[in-house]
Amino acid sequence: MGQAFARLKLVWLAVVAMFAVAVPGALVAQDGIAPESPVGEVAEEVTQAVPEQEGAYSPMAPTDGVGMPTAPQDDMLASMTFQEQYSETGQYALWMHDYILLPVITLISLFVLGLLIYVIVRYNKRANPVPSKTTHNTMIEVVWTIIPALILVVIAVPSITLLAAQYETPPEDAVTIKATGYQWYWTYTYPDHGEIEIVSNMLSNDDAIANGEPALLAVDNRMVVPADTPLRIQTTAADVIHAFSVPSLWFKQDAIPGRLNEKMIEGIPEGVYYGQCSELCGAKHGYMPIAVEALPPEKFAAWVAEQGGEMPGAAEAAPAAEGEEVEAEATEVALAE
Amino acid sequence: MGGKVNHDYHILEPDIWPLVGSLSAVTFTTGLVFNMHEMFGTAGPIIMYLGLAGLIATFFMWFKNIVNEAEGGDHTPVVQLHMRYGMILFIASEVMFFVGWFWAFFDFALFPEPIVVSDDGTVTSLFQQEGAAAVTQFPAKGIEVINPFALPLLNTLILLCSGTTVTWAHHALIHGDREGLKQGLWATIALGVVFSAIQAYEYAVAPFAFGTNTYSSAFYMATGFHGFHVLIGTIFLAVCLYRAYLGHFTPRQHFGFEAAAWYWHFVDVVWLFLFIAVYIWGGWGAPVH
Amino acid sequence: MATTAEGFDIHTEDHAHEADHKPGFFARWFMSTNHKDIGTLYLIFAIFAGIIGGAMSGVMRLELAEPGIQHLGAAVEFFGGNASESANLHMWNVFITAHGLIMVFFMVMPAMIGGFGNWFVPLMIGAPDMAFPRMNNVSFWLTVAGFISLCFSLFVPGTGPDALGAGVGWTVYAPLSTTGNVGPAVDFAIFSLHLAGAGSILGATNFITTIFNMRAPGMTLHKMPLFVWSVLVTAFLLLLALPVLAAAITMLLTDRNFGTTFFDPAGGGDPVLYQHLFWFFGHPEVYIMILPGFGMISQIVATFSRKPVFGYLGMAYAMVAIGVVGFIVWAHHMYTVGLDVNTKMYFTAATMVIAVPTGVKIFSWIATMWGGSMEFKSPMVWALGFIFLFTVGGVTGVILANGGIDDNLHDTYYVVAHFHYVLSMGAVFSLFAGFYYWFPKMSGKMHSELLSHIHFWGFFIGVNIVFFPQHFLGMNGMPRRIPDYPEAFAYWNEISSYGYVVMAASMLVFFVNIGWSLVAGKAPGKNPWGEGATTLEWTLTSPPPYHQFETLPVIEDHHDYHDHSQPEAKPA
Ligand code: HEA
Ligand code: HEA
Ligand code: CUA
Ligand SMILES: [Cu+2]
Repeated sequence: MGQAFARLKLVWLAVVAMFAVAVPGALVAQDGIAPESPVGEVAEEVTQAVPEQEGAYSPMAPTDGVGMPTAPQDDMLASMTFQEQYSETGQYALWMHDYILLPVITLISLFVLGLLIYVIVRYNKRANPVPSKTTHNTMIEVVWTIIPALILVVIAVPSITLLAAQYETPPEDAVTIKATGYQWYWTYTYPDHGEIEIVSNMLSNDDAIANGEPALLAVDNRMVVPADTPLRIQTTAADVIHAFSVPSLWFKQDAIPGRLNEKMIEGIPEGVYYGQCSELCGAKHGYMPIAVEALPPEKFAAWVAEQGGEMPGAAEAAPAAEGEEVEAEATEVALAE
Repeated sequence: MGGKVNHDYHILEPDIWPLVGSLSAVTFTTGLVFNMHEMFGTAGPIIMYLGLAGLIATFFMWFKNIVNEAEGGDHTPVVQLHMRYGMILFIASEVMFFVGWFWAFFDFALFPEPIVVSDDGTVTSLFQQEGAAAVTQFPAKGIEVINPFALPLLNTLILLCSGTTVTWAHHALIHGDREGLKQGLWATIALGVVFSAIQAYEYAVAPFAFGTNTYSSAFYMATGFHGFHVLIGTIFLAVCLYRAYLGHFTPRQHFGFEAAAWYWHFVDVVWLFLFIAVYIWGGWGAPVH
Repeated sequence: MATTAEGFDIHTEDHAHEADHKPGFFARWFMSTNHKDIGTLYLIFAIFAGIIGGAMSGVMRLELAEPGIQHLGAAVEFFGGNASESANLHMWNVFITAHGLIMVFFMVMPAMIGGFGNWFVPLMIGAPDMAFPRMNNVSFWLTVAGFISLCFSLFVPGTGPDALGAGVGWTVYAPLSTTGNVGPAVDFAIFSLHLAGAGSILGATNFITTIFNMRAPGMTLHKMPLFVWSVLVTAFLLLLALPVLAAAITMLLTDRNFGTTFFDPAGGGDPVLYQHLFWFFGHPEVYIMILPGFGMISQIVATFSRKPVFGYLGMAYAMVAIGVVGFIVWAHHMYTVGLDVNTKMYFTAATMVIAVPTGVKIFSWIATMWGGSMEFKSPMVWALGFIFLFTVGGVTGVILANGGIDDNLHDTYYVVAHFHYVLSMGAVFSLFAGFYYWFPKMSGKMHSELLSHIHFWGFFIGVNIVFFPQHFLGMNGMPRRIPDYPEAFAYWNEISSYGYVVMAASMLVFFVNIGWSLVAGKAPGKNPWGEGATTLEWTLTSPPPYHQFETLPVIEDHHDYHDHSQPEAKPA
């Protein structure tokens, strides 16, 4: 024993033993992966048949693979990484991850693994029966302190740039939307657009699939926004902490009772972008999804009108005060809880 | 191995009180939860007081044992050194405990929220409402604070004074003056008791109630925990006084006394921070009761 | 001499040759003042808690194996509630809360500090026991008391009469833990932390005092084995971090029960304040869970390379640096709460700094093996596994450290993957490495190398299958703390759950191994690991005498951590 061969045999034995126990267990536990996801199947059939509503607005059908997670069955690689990004900062962040961070950490991990394999092969008892007594080498110690520090400096530059970009103040004409988290749904209010208040609940799985939308992500009333227009997203909550998160826009902001957080999303293209509440908020934390629908500005205006709101500037006199009333109402609800 | 013990460390006998104390602690907290939620009727208080009794018994027996061991000669110089380290580290952890309360206090004081406290004590939040900016202040609008330069200043003087009396006792002890030790301790304990009495009176007549808003929450919890420490410190000193009457402590070996004195000074310093930060700075600009 | 338990009659002074005279069963295990027995109690307790926490994660992986809710109803009924949609979903939160708290406070901490720390700090510094043997015991029993309180919380109402248990996450964020879970369950959980925390603070005091005051003649700080260094730094982190947690959860308690408004916006309070206080404790806490592991890995790597640790001083002070910097990075857990941009930039930069001293440790371990004569005994394979997997977990931490990147990853499975790589692989691998390293010393029985290697490979493969795919899930957007998920996440979740089965099978091998060797293991002699094992515990019998070092050892010239001045033995 102690020879490389004996060790290999051990490894092999161990693996076989593992699988002897694991595979039958796993087979009993599960029937395996369904060959096709039922959601995808139904989705294709129903996409055209999105229920027409009375007015001009009808919910946009999502595009597969856009603004939502990807199943490995559809695209293995896409299921293993970030969602495609549709905001400018998101694209920058994704670039930074894919071209700086991921390569750096992969190389570091492989480097460490390589060194380990090297010492295992080169400095095992058989290959090197007499150990050296070296315990110091100031040069190498300095090197392995300085080089990681330099790598971190290299990472810090785009990282700080990204943070600065994410914190740009929204322009004057940005559209403000306030998302309020409740146990367990979201409301979206549009302070610049009259009294609009959208209550957004998750659709049941059946309804979602019937709509051609991904289950657990689809909602009855989406947060509708104008495309290609800067958005000022405000978040707060009425009961416990929630978090407003849309992975494909690289956006996540906690919704905290007693606080109003604000952050910009620069103009995003037309489309539907899904997200989920991302702070533990009680039993149905998993069941309060977010769906953002970006419409061309004219359609957005039509939607606003349909909701009984007004575009800012349409009636100069009223909006400001009205906007505040909406806020006050929301707060009253919050206090009453 | 297995020979004569050739070191000065203190190898202890098996002891039941760690087990009793821990089980009492969880009994106490369990009873407390039952009480707070009014579960199981009278069982709640019974369980709680049972646990409390166990805890008190544990503390009593534990310290009695330590005292006996000290008097029995187990506390060699190195063991005394252990005690010193132990006490300093314990106080360091206490300091961090108060850091938590001060952190809360400064958060509230530096980043106040728009709330208004009305005369009957109800609190309204103007968060996201009109006029919020006008009421964003600390202490919240509607709170009258205690005049720091009345009783709190007196209490500050009392504690500072007690810091000197405990040093008096210490010097007397070092110089073998047992009467001086007793007098100094009596004086310190008396000052501690007066402090606690004044503090209790102040709570009773305070112009704001417990809880309901950040100022009174931070105020009562921080000063309350300080008061609790004063109480513990007073008991600690009283034990020392009792031991002084028993003839314990020598000019060279009296760590029990020193620990009490350290603790007392620590409590004193916490008060100075409370006085300056909470009473004076924290209440600055608010109407004084 | 006054004694507290006259009946037990183990006065070493009266019985000069009684170093191995042990008290009776009850006195020995329930009233212990012996660091080795208390260490054993801690280890047994930690294994017990690890089984419970591991079983809970098994139920979690079972539930997550496919979308939809399948098994939570059964769990609700197991704890005596009535299954209903809301009760079942609440039960998920109870499970993750209990799993997190048990693994952190009742498995890793007791095993590393209470178990191995208690056993080997005195042995390694040449001390007869801990500085405060009786307080040592209360630390243990307070941990048990905390565990009891946590168990109670599972059986009492959390959000309502049918939703039992505290469903608040191990972070216990307000207001979910105040107005969001009004039942007594959260109070029990809070007191659980109070009790276990008090035990740990006392333990920390004990370790610091022991290490500063009880080193054998010649054992200077700069000659102490690195495991002792690691426990010293850990003890300081405990001492300074835990009291802040105590204050924070006391605020929760008074907010819940006595009408204070620390975290209640209706009274001007601030939920984010809780997070600051929690993470001021919580971040040092994660280093509390890994530093003793670092220490063990250093001993093991040196032993099985038959070479002293490379860059000893750098290794020691890297841990000190990690400990110090660990106190000023806490808000990297709060990047999405609405911090301002400068704060976020600061915490991004400060957090990344920790990679430097950690890198020093990784590379020094490798340099220790470099030129060595490595033997792949069971502790060493776990140590090698540790070094690689901890690196993987560490570098994903560096990704999360970037505030702008974390905006997407926060509260997703990427974070879950990160911290299981550093905990369920880092901390747990070091635990098993330490366990196999010291088991022969502690028990006087040799374990099976074959079974240990099988355990290693099964566990290694299993946990990688469990947690590597979770990176994909996280990047693709799957939030953590949800029992049910969109169909797109089904595949990788299923793979992850398969991994659990592999891991669990290997744990059976572990238990067989311990059981078998306790019954039939051969005697290992003083030092089963050969000339590489140079620390003091290997100079004693296995198991060591009930009271060791009754004549203090003098650290000899040839000793690893020794310079060439020969200090005198201390006079009795
Ligand atoms: C043992 C526990 C442990 C350890 C050691 C670490 C180590 C680190 N952790 Fe981790 N972490 C946790 C346990 C731990 N963490 C837990 C439990 C959570 C989640 C809590 C919760 O929310 O429930 C968490 C969450 C967490 C977050 C918050 C994520 C979020 O919620 O959004 C962040 C962000 O910065 C982070 C960062 C780091 C970093 C930078 C390190 C560094 O210390 C890592 C340093 C190590 C290396 C980098 C590898 C070795 C180094 C080299 C080989 C040198 C070369 C390397 C470079 C130049 C990069 N961790
Ligand atoms: C040390 C900490 C630790 C450890 C070891 C583990 C181990 C495991 N964890 Fe856990 N986990 C956490 C800490 C830990 N976890 C925390 C803090 C959270 C967050 C909770 C929250 O969100 O609030 C979490 C959350 C968490 C989740 C996410 C839940 C969610 O967000 O919805 C999942 C899901 O798969 C999971 C799975 C597992 C699995 C399969 C293991 C398996 O690896 C388990 C296998 C079992 C063992 C590895 C134990 C073996 C050890 C012993 C038997 C003791 C040995 C002792 C000696 C040798 C002395 N854990
Ligand atoms: Cu709302 Cu989670
Ligand atoms: Cu951290």
